[in-house]
Amino acid sequence: MSIVLVGINHKTAPVEVRELLAFSDRACTEGLPRLVDGEVVREGLIVSTCNRVEILSAITTDQLESGTQRIAEFLDAARNLPPGFLSDHLYSHTDENAIRHIFRVASSLDSMVVGEPQVLGQVRHAYSLAVEAGTAGRVLNRLVHHTFHVAKRVRSETGIASSAVSISYMAVELGKKIFDSLRGRVVMLIGAGEMAELSARHLVNAGATRVLIVNRTKESAERLAEEFKGLAVPFEQLPQSLSEADVVICSTGAPDYVVTADMVRSATEQKRNRPTCIIDISVPRNVDPAVGKVPNVFVFDIDDLESVITSNIREREREAERAELIVQSEVMQFQQSLRAMDIGPTIGALRQKLQQVARAEMERQRKRLGSLTPDQEAAIEALLMSTVNKISHPVLNQMRRSYELSDSETVQALRDIFGLEE
Amino acid sequence: MKSFLVAVVAAYLIAAIHSILAFVNKRAALQRVAEWSLAAGFVVHTITLLEDWTLDGHYPLFNLKETLSFLAWALVAVYGVVLYRYRAQAIGVFMMPLISILSCAALVIQTGPNDAPAAFSATWLFPVHTTLLIFAYAAFFVVFIASVMYLLQERELKLKTFSAIFYRLPSLATVNELATSAAALGLTLLTLGIASGMLWSSTRDGRVWHNDPKEIFAVLTWLLYLFLIIYRSTAGWRGRRAAWIGVAGFGLVLCTFFGARLLGGYHVFG
Repeated sequence: MSIVLVGINHKTAPVEVRELLAFSDRACTEGLPRLVDGEVVREGLIVSTCNRVEILSAITTDQLESGTQRIAEFLDAARNLPPGFLSDHLYSHTDENAIRHIFRVASSLDSMVVGEPQVLGQVRHAYSLAVEAGTAGRVLNRLVHHTFHVAKRVRSETGIASSAVSISYMAVELGKKIFDSLRGRVVMLIGAGEMAELSARHLVNAGATRVLIVNRTKESAERLAEEFKGLAVPFEQLPQSLSEADVVICSTGAPDYVVTADMVRSATEQKRNRPTCIIDISVPRNVDPAVGKVPNVFVFDIDDLESVITSNIREREREAERAELIVQSEVMQFQQSLRAMDIGPTIGALRQKLQQVARAEMERQRKRLGSLTPDQEAAIEALLMSTVNKISHPVLNQMRRSYELSDSETVQALRDIFGLEE
Repeated sequence: MKSFLVAVVAAYLIAAIHSILAFVNKRAALQRVAEWSLAAGFVVHTITLLEDWTLDGHYPLFNLKETLSFLAWALVAVYGVVLYRYRAQAIGVFMMPLISILSCAALVIQTGPNDAPAAFSATWLFPVHTTLLIFAYAAFFVVFIASVMYLLQERELKLKTFSAIFYRLPSLATVNELATSAAALGLTLLTLGIASGMLWSSTRDGRVWHNDPKEIFAVLTWLLYLFLIIYRSTAGWRGRRAAWIGVAGFGLVLCTFFGARLLGGYHVFG
């Protein structure tokens, strides 16, 4: 059995092509049984995200070429694309390379933003769809579980996902750096822009309990207040309620400073010098840069965030190099465990060994039989072989069964009985 | 027990190296090695101290060798509490090398036979006095490290440029709280330590104050940390200025610790 991965990703295909190929959940569960015929393509799963469509499969080793071909054709046919439409974009990897590829994908090393956390969930989802469709078998089960293990290792042993690389997530990152935990913290949105909303959502997910929304138009403030179960604060009361906020996200379209140094200074006094993190993502800036001089107040404008993000991306790339080493060692480990598990060579060796014994005996006794016609010789050969096969049949069956049940002890015991090496 | 102390130093060195590696590489496995090794070292160290106590017949905190060893032991104990309460492993990067150096020095330093300690351990007040103060020093060292960490991070947050070390340090809130509670603990211990010292001195020769450098520095240290505690409690989070006091305070602690040795005075024994 060989592991084959065929697909396209954001590096090989533009979004126009990727969106044509994208598989919905239903398309996956319906398509998979058609792809997996049990003869050539034995197992399969489809990973479909906005950045990639990949089919991971287990193919009978001696049918490798036709199997790979079959997958490429399946991709064309499943999405009603003209044959050969994808050929410029498709890549296909076999065995070691395929294993490495899926490990890298799940560990987010192959992502557009290296270290983004969603892709592991997407691989997990792809696997559950394959399980549902009944197309995940012994090989893929093992491979996918090992993939999860690798992704977890990469995540915990490298800093690949440890720093924020998006503006909306920076708010969480900075909040945690200052307050340790965002649990129980109060978030204030000044202006109800989309970016502010996204940041607030991240902050609430990270534990922030209260959201105050200050906006010039009352309606959008109230809409957001409802969404976050927060409180809409009239614009005039901004200076007073500033002292309640721990994290402030400012994104109004105002042409001048909405938050001034005096305002922040008196708010800080009121909150007994507890720190405040102010994130100003509006252009032109809405927070007076002089606010940054107030003790225990930390202000970040859009350029500050961008430059931190740039350095974070570089940090991730450095960490990715370490992650590649982990992936490499895991690929080797997985291949080893796969070889140990693979029953094919054992069965072949057993059959060959028994046949050799029969042929050697025949060779020894051949002289006594005198001259034989070719037909007679063929009959003796057939007799010997069928005897060997009939005797070995139940043994081989038992071996296969034990193998299916992952009962490696029995497999090993059978190997030992017949004196077979690994 | 020299061979025991060698094992202790080895365990602390392993812990120090691993906690630095864990800090640099952000690997939980390395941190675990550091913590287990530290725990093992601490257990053996405790046994060593107890054994010294019973074999030598005096409380193992008198000459320089013993003081360094005991200080290392106290620092490990305090670090253990910090780890348990705050999971602030980064503190270890600064504490572990110091602990290793102290215990190494304790191993290397030789002291001649001296019958003075026996006289001092006749009364229980003297060991109490020294033990309290050693733990106070350890607590003030934690204040110092936490304050430095606070200042480093506060500076980077204000300048908006984050170095690699920034992501590896505990949050501002954590180091602020750590510094505050360690200062409170240290001040309590220092107060009790000074009081027990005065009491001991008055029972020994009827005087509570000898005007020697160590005493003067101790009182200055006490005043500074008292000021720090009051300063912090009057207006909540004081941030940078409080952190600077925490750093300056440790300078005084060092003067107190080494003061007697360098300047002489009443506190020179043995």
